[in-house]
Amino acid sequence: MSDASLSSEPAETLVPVTVLTGFLGAGKTTLLNHILTAEHGRKYAVVINEFGELGVDNDLVVDADEEVFEMNNGCICCTVRGDLIRILGSLMKRRNKFDGIIIETTGLADPAPVAQTFFADEDVRAKTRLDAVVTVVDALNILQTLKESPEAHQQIAFADVIILNKTDLVDDAQLKEVEDAIRKINAFAPVHKAQKGNVKLTDVMDVGGFDLQRTLSTMPDFLENTHHHHEEGVNSVSLTIKTPLDAGRFQMWIGALLQEKGADILRTKGILNFEGQPDRFAFQAVHMMADGNDIGPWKDGEERESRLVFIGRNLNRPQLRRGFESCAVA
Amino acid sequence: MSIPTELRGLIEKRGASRTVEGHITACAASRDNMRFAFTTAEGDVIVAHRADLAEPASWATYAVHDGAALALAPDTDPGGFLTGGDDGRLCRLDMHGEIEELGKTRRWVEHVVSHVDAKAAYIASASGKQVELRDGRGETVLKTLEHPSSVTGIVFDTKGKRIAASHYNGASVWYTQPKSESVRSLEWKGSHTGIAIHPAGEALITSMQDNDLHGWRLSDGHNIRMSGYPTKVKSMSFSRTGKWLATSGADVVVLWPFFGGGPMGKPPAELPGMGGALCTRVAYNPEQEILAAGFADGSVIMIEPESQRVLPVCLNGGSAISALSYSSDGCLLGFGTEEGLIGLVDLSAG
Repeated sequence: MSDASLSSEPAETLVPVTVLTGFLGAGKTTLLNHILTAEHGRKYAVVINEFGELGVDNDLVVDADEEVFEMNNGCICCTVRGDLIRILGSLMKRRNKFDGIIIETTGLADPAPVAQTFFADEDVRAKTRLDAVVTVVDALNILQTLKESPEAHQQIAFADVIILNKTDLVDDAQLKEVEDAIRKINAFAPVHKAQKGNVKLTDVMDVGGFDLQRTLSTMPDFLENTHHHHEEGVNSVSLTIKTPLDAGRFQMWIGALLQEKGADILRTKGILNFEGQPDRFAFQAVHMMADGNDIGPWKDGEERESRLVFIGRNLNRPQLRRGFESCAVA
Repeated sequence: MSIPTELRGLIEKRGASRTVEGHITACAASRDNMRFAFTTAEGDVIVAHRADLAEPASWATYAVHDGAALALAPDTDPGGFLTGGDDGRLCRLDMHGEIEELGKTRRWVEHVVSHVDAKAAYIASASGKQVELRDGRGETVLKTLEHPSSVTGIVFDTKGKRIAASHYNGASVWYTQPKSESVRSLEWKGSHTGIAIHPAGEALITSMQDNDLHGWRLSDGHNIRMSGYPTKVKSMSFSRTGKWLATSGADVVVLWPFFGGGPMGKPPAELPGMGGALCTRVAYNPEQEILAAGFADGSVIMIEPESQRVLPVCLNGGSAISALSYSSDGCLLGFGTEEGLIGLVDLSAG
């Protein structure tokens, strides 16, 4: 699916889905139980994987099989979770039973197929929205895990929110080292420190992290920094343009870019200022699958500019910048 | 929940309707065609007796599943029903309203089918990657059929000699005969999401995630591709003779020809729709060359393909038709919607 189809479905009527990822033993299930038992008056449907080591304390729990398949569009990175399509479809027949859905993935899972499911399936798209990928990171073991496992890089790269758990088990110097390692991979997701999964619910649930809206509104300077690492592995690039964009040109450029480099570009997110449009446009992509929608007008006093973030491998910053700039109105 | 104010069409004079709680997941007639059941995502089964068709308030409601009722089939005995639910239970609801648990697993029971003829009776249910084939009573598991990934649909052939299951990367065909262990694997890459078999056993058809149908000619395994849909095909129904396969998935009813060399290289016929609303369910009349189609706007119509004559069964249903089925004698047509409207129409003369 290489086209950057720019739809505009109302986000409020869609059921928010939180994807909980993180390496084995990082504390996913502890965090999940913390979320479920907190006093929030909200009901969640929980989709867990069959290898979950701890019990989950909730009425509506569904076992998933993590069955990944490739879409028949000739693109090997367009993998989706078929079991989730079935499970979400069935859960949506009981829409009145819950306020949101939480999906826990296995520790070794690549988050891409889960995220891509929300782009690729028309029924899932029609009724749910991916609120955020929340990645739980174990402060004690992550540096070692990053050396051994490419999946751990993927999970951090995909995160909209990072929960840095078990911070009580490391000293300040170690914590700093861990935070730097996370930032090298994903410069943009907010990092919340926690012990035994004791996070504020507002940090993980209904954060709208996937469309950047709240992330950007709470951190106006967040994307201004330029992180540039001349090294192997996953890193981040952010770009800003003050001139309004031509929507058609942007679509052409990003479509071609994701088609060509989509295997390396894990996540793309942006808030865009299209020429002649009163609303901000939120753009997002997972590998080659892209989506976008209007997210309301610019606020008074807010600078109208287009900001775009890439997280991936082999990102060529000058090339990306030139491409993005070529989308500006002449 | 929107309650339709005024239903138009055949249902006014020859039918009745009622609104119940929950998304209607399936509907079916009992084998004797005297009862008609509707299942809901709340786990209930609503049963209308033919004699009380005009009095929907008397249709009985049974709380069978804890969670959604996902699958429904007529029982092997004349008056009952079989249901599967996301509580992992396979249940029988007999003609007296007694509920019997035939099986329980950890997984959702997503598909249930049954077969009865003079020689044999079978019940099959699918949960996860397994299909359990049971005897007609349902108490004995004759075989457990293992598949490479979750089963998305099961179907018996007309004679009950084979059972086929759709899953990732193809379909598997098994013999029901207890001594046969062999499986025929029909392969085609991708996610197959539903299954139908030609009444004369000529072809096996699956619906796919990628808005296509795939098929295999069973005589030689030749692949058949049928594409061009704007959305996923969620409902397929062969005509009595197997001449046509009707499908949902477009804003018209799509009919693929299974004669004169088709469907390979033949364009499908398109029957009238409901002015742009997506067709969500199709059901061929088991006795006549007439089919029923349900749409996303809550309409149900009957169409005679040859003349393209259309008869409205129910207009203004309020929400998408999610279940549609004829009785095996072709005299009852039932339907249900995503918001809990259930309707039943008597098509018999007189």
